[in-house]
Amino acid sequence: MKLRAAIDWALGLFRRFLQVRAVFTTVVLSGISLLIVGGFLSYSIGNGLYQTRVTQILDESERGVVEVQNTFAAATVTDEIALQTLLNSVVPALESSGSSDSRKVALLRTPGQLGAQILQSPISANLDTAVIPVDLKIQVREASGRLTYQSVAIAQPDGTSHPGIVVGSPIEIPLAGKYELYLVFDLNGEQQTLDFVQTVLFWGMLILLGLIGAVSYLVTNWLVRPVKVAAEVSEEIAEGALDRRLPERGEDVIAILGRSFNRMADSLQKQITKLASVSKMQQRFVSDVSHELRTPLTTIKLAGEVIFANREKLEPAAKRSAELMNNQIERFEVLLNDLLEISRYDAGAVAADFEIQDVNGVVGSAIAGLEPLAQSRDTVIQIDIPSGPVDAEIDGRRIERLIRNLLANAIEHGESRPISVAVGVSEDAVAVSVTDGGIGMTRAEVDRVFDRFWRADPARKRTTGGTGLGLAISLEDTQLHGGWLQVWAKPNQGASFRLTLPRRQGMVFTQSPLPLPPRGSVNGVVNE
Amino acid sequence: MQHKILVVDDDNALREMVGIVLEAEGFAVSYHDAGTGALEAFKSQSPDLVLLDVMLPGKDGIEVCNEIRSVSGTPIIMLTAKTESEDVVRGLEAGADDYVVKPFDPTVLLARIRARLRPLTSASEETVQIGPLTLDIIGHEVRRGTEKLLLTPLEFNLLLTLAVKPKQVFTREMLLETVWGYHYKADTRLVNVHVQRLRSKIEDDPDNPKIVTTVRGIGYKAGQS
Repeated sequence: MKLRAAIDWALGLFRRFLQVRAVFTTVVLSGISLLIVGGFLSYSIGNGLYQTRVTQILDESERGVVEVQNTFAAATVTDEIALQTLLNSVVPALESSGSSDSRKVALLRTPGQLGAQILQSPISANLDTAVIPVDLKIQVREASGRLTYQSVAIAQPDGTSHPGIVVGSPIEIPLAGKYELYLVFDLNGEQQTLDFVQTVLFWGMLILLGLIGAVSYLVTNWLVRPVKVAAEVSEEIAEGALDRRLPERGEDVIAILGRSFNRMADSLQKQITKLASVSKMQQRFVSDVSHELRTPLTTIKLAGEVIFANREKLEPAAKRSAELMNNQIERFEVLLNDLLEISRYDAGAVAADFEIQDVNGVVGSAIAGLEPLAQSRDTVIQIDIPSGPVDAEIDGRRIERLIRNLLANAIEHGESRPISVAVGVSEDAVAVSVTDGGIGMTRAEVDRVFDRFWRADPARKRTTGGTGLGLAISLEDTQLHGGWLQVWAKPNQGASFRLTLPRRQGMVFTQSPLPLPPRGSVNGVVNE
Repeated sequence: MQHKILVVDDDNALREMVGIVLEAEGFAVSYHDAGTGALEAFKSQSPDLVLLDVMLPGKDGIEVCNEIRSVSGTPIIMLTAKTESEDVVRGLEAGADDYVVKPFDPTVLLARIRARLRPLTSASEETVQIGPLTLDIIGHEVRRGTEKLLLTPLEFNLLLTLAVKPKQVFTREMLLETVWGYHYKADTRLVNVHVQRLRSKIEDDPDNPKIVTTVRGIGYKAGQS
């Protein structure tokens, strides 16, 4: 469907470009105006030509009829032959008189008179008397001494027809009785003039329409161009070229637009640069603090280890202190590492180390790492994984850390009820879910669960000593892989975290291989 | 035999603490507190191993590392606060054998030090031939013809490990275990950087190696495949 495609293309053009719309509208409206003006001109000219010609024809006919009448009145014919001769002379005389050479004459005897037609009716050569309308004949017979006329179409030998006028008048011929004189005028000349005028008008208006189109294109182009430039520059600024500006020339509305636009861009650029530098400073600060803390922490850690290794030689209170200090130094180190990791993400300085790995293996080593903690809390970890390896292109270190973190949370909030870990796989995605049957979360808590340093219940005692950054880092790790980390929870029913990752980097998936909420749970809150 | 260790660190507390830990393990420890003069301290002490902080006043650890390498192949372990790749790679390229990230466990530090001081696994032969090179295992020397090549003990160990099993392809993890003494997953950049350094010393054209070749996707091997 070529036509269909062409229409679609034109419609698309129409929708997309203001300029096309403007030019199109201008041309259509101008076209309608020109059509009205042209129609009026054409009608007026045609009418004027016709009226002039009719007046002229009537004048000529009047004169002709009077002449003929006079000829017969003045003639002193006595016999039929002389009358016929006179009669015959009338037609050529009328044919040749007057301005128009395209007239034909017919002198017909009015039917319905007493006595037979003794004389032959003279008719111009090539005149078909059928052209004289019957109703005109009737009018002529009824009109006494007045001219009557009617427009007709004169058939031509070549099949076409010319417009014409038939003028009729009754005539009294002595000895011969009532006759009707008809003059047939061909208006072809006037028609040709009119045709010519109309042709000229048509082409003139077409050219005018084309010119209007071209002019409106130029004008709209001139008006639209600055807008186009503004659109391009906005696009560039949106893409990050903050120092792009519009040209500011003249005093017109376009220049005002340019100036306002540039002022806006200046202020935006200032704000963005300021925010960026503040944010950079902050990230740098966090990173520097983390690094600066490392040297004293190393000393503390070494000292702590030495004291801890010799704790058996200490008093009971000092021994316990050494143990507590040792634990807290470890916690401090984890916190510092998490802080540094988050600051790396904030600075956009994280590069993943993607490798094709067995997800089951990663999950297994994460579980193995947390088995001691689970045992200390009397928590059973149930595993539901596909048989055989599940390969996926992941950063194994990050994903193992992520799953360990989910497990630690599940153990901490699981109220010692069993925790289930599931691995699911599909063509393009791999999923790991960690579900506990513990205290769960409310809607408001689910909404904040990935916030930094947020804790579900500040009044709850902390036992495993998480840093409060774990889930925030987990979410960053997930996004680094192009995956999803989602949570379902219900108060006193438990919570389920589901991690879904693409099988290969760049793969797009639309569905996770594992359900959320997990099978057998209902009515929870799911945070996508 | 008591090993001598030089600790170069500007932080007094850390320097002293590291000293306590090392002396408790029977090492003889000497100290220096800045980048400037570190080379002189090294020359006068002639230690068996150097612990070198990356961030030092005056000259930074990487410069010091370069200076020591220009005169000696003594094992150097960098102490770094930054795990970002650039810092670590610069240290390794300057010739450090290994690195530990602050804050480190004393056990980790001691394990890294012992791995570097461990005598070479003695091969049955006295010399091993690889390509145009002759490795004298007892004398710790590498010769190309009569020319003696200067390799650090680590580089010698790396080359020897590859050379004694010329047909075997070694993964980076295998090399980390046999040469560096890591028994868990470690930084494979250690291997990459040191193979580069080794090639620049032994190959005619380090960009087109003939003696230590890369097996794409797996690791390295001695000789051409």
